[in-house]
Amino acid sequence: MVDVALAFAPGRRFNPWPAVIFISLAVLALLFLAPTAGVLLSSIKTTRDIALGQLWTIPSELFWGNYAEVLANPAVHRYFLNTFIVTAPATVASIALGSLAGYVFAKLPFRGSNLLFLVIVSGMFFPPQVILIPLFRLFNAMDLIDTLYPIIIIHTAMGIPICTLLMRNFFATVPNALREAAILEGANEWQVLTRVALPLSLPALAVLATLQFTWIWNDFLWPLIFTQSDEKRTIMLGIVNLQGQYSVAWGVQGSLSLIASLPTLIVFLFFQRYFIKGMTMGAVKG
Amino acid sequence: MERENRLWRVILLALPVAVFAAFVVWPLASSFYYSFTDWNGFNPDYDFVGFDNFLKIHTDKLFLNATINTAFWIVAAIVVPTALGLGLALLIDSRIPGGPVFKSIFYLPICLSAVVVGQIWVWIYQPDWGLLNTVVEAVSGENFNYAWLAKPDSALWSVILAWSWQQTGLSMVIFLAGLTTIPEELLEVCEIEGAKAFQRIRLVVIPLLTPATVVVIALNVINSLKGFDILYTMTGGGPFNSSDTLAMHMYNESFKKYLMGYGSAISVVLFLIALTIIRLYFRQLRKVDELHG
Repeated sequence: MVDVALAFAPGRRFNPWPAVIFISLAVLALLFLAPTAGVLLSSIKTTRDIALGQLWTIPSELFWGNYAEVLANPAVHRYFLNTFIVTAPATVASIALGSLAGYVFAKLPFRGSNLLFLVIVSGMFFPPQVILIPLFRLFNAMDLIDTLYPIIIIHTAMGIPICTLLMRNFFATVPNALREAAILEGANEWQVLTRVALPLSLPALAVLATLQFTWIWNDFLWPLIFTQSDEKRTIMLGIVNLQGQYSVAWGVQGSLSLIASLPTLIVFLFFQRYFIKGMTMGAVKG
Repeated sequence: MERENRLWRVILLALPVAVFAAFVVWPLASSFYYSFTDWNGFNPDYDFVGFDNFLKIHTDKLFLNATINTAFWIVAAIVVPTALGLGLALLIDSRIPGGPVFKSIFYLPICLSAVVVGQIWVWIYQPDWGLLNTVVEAVSGENFNYAWLAKPDSALWSVILAWSWQQTGLSMVIFLAGLTTIPEELLEVCEIEGAKAFQRIRLVVIPLLTPATVVVIALNVINSLKGFDILYTMTGGGPFNSSDTLAMHMYNESFKKYLMGYGSAISVVLFLIALTIIRLYFRQLRKVDELHG
């Protein structure tokens, strides 16, 4: 740890630096929070108040009508349901597939496995636009446009690189002796993976569950391409769509945004440490 | 034993490799293929047009415009979140109270979706009651109604600022992780030798942070190439294409004008740019590995 506060302190004289640092951080934190706070404030105000230019002030009384409006809207229920239908299986499937591949790369390396590993991992660096058109053609031919299947499949496939990377790195830290002992006891590789390696890798699984859930929940591009009817929209697409319907109902828009972000915010707050670790692990070891 | 291992490799790798090959590798290869056709998105049939789509890129003023904007976008994505993230990491890493709280606050925007971030910032830039103009009015005392997102001069930069707000936290946590690897004794020695705080940061901390810096910069560049959602929601590439990027241009040509062949050609260019950056990144990583062990 670099101790800037101590570093700034020569001898025992009065040291103003920790206070200066704290105050600058506090000011920056307020600046960073202001945008989010604006949405929060808007969501508890009436449209009239906002139109009068009072979006950024603290309201004298709380107005819950915007939330009631959003929560009573059947379209919002459908958007939420669709997003869950996409996010849950894609999160599980990408982690499962990444664990399978990661186990081989960590415990059963073969000639050329490093190259294959690199090819798979490099998949996480490319903009999704580069595979968009052929996938559109493929799913069009399979008559799957305007269903949720393409989105589930794509998120599973696009999640394989990061899941393989993190699971391989984590499995590599599981002692080989454990695997060998289990195999001497008569276990096969599948049993080693599911009963030894995976139970020891719960932190990595938590990291990936948070990352994948957040990315898939928040995604906009794939649902935009593959869904057309309102019945199949996911929540992020729904927000954009409802912006037209509630064009000047800023408060309703604000509460909708907050409700839509709630699942990822909850996951983030619960798994904060894992989430940040996962981001850094995935990045630093890439 | 070895034969058994071989069998297990096949069993375990079959599914992930098949899914990855079918839905990532194969489409990538097909993009090259379709870039030589005039497929329109509806007809199952198409004709081969040779290099026509790539020649069109040469004369497409919007493509040039999108490339220039992408370059701006990438440079800003390197400079702003990296510099801000480093500054915040250094401040938080000093032993002030509330470090974890600050960390969470700066990191929070990362878990918001681009759509939500876009909406938040559309409100900030709103001409009549947006936060930015409200502050300007309060400071200057004059009426101020500048429409940040509706003017070609400011649209791209306004989106870049929103983007930086969201991305800074990521750079910050990676720098914080890098800072934990610097031995405290080293800094104590520097202090005893009489190095001032800024000297220590400039001459010791920043050089030792090189591995983290390489990662941060590469990640910011790669993420910036993916920046599509936020542009789509905030400006849609407008006004007058002033905030068009390659990803946006590709989407418009393919899914608005249904020129899928031409769109494929643009995505091929996008792929080549990403590939160049990734190769530079891996080369830098290897250099850093050699230097830092």
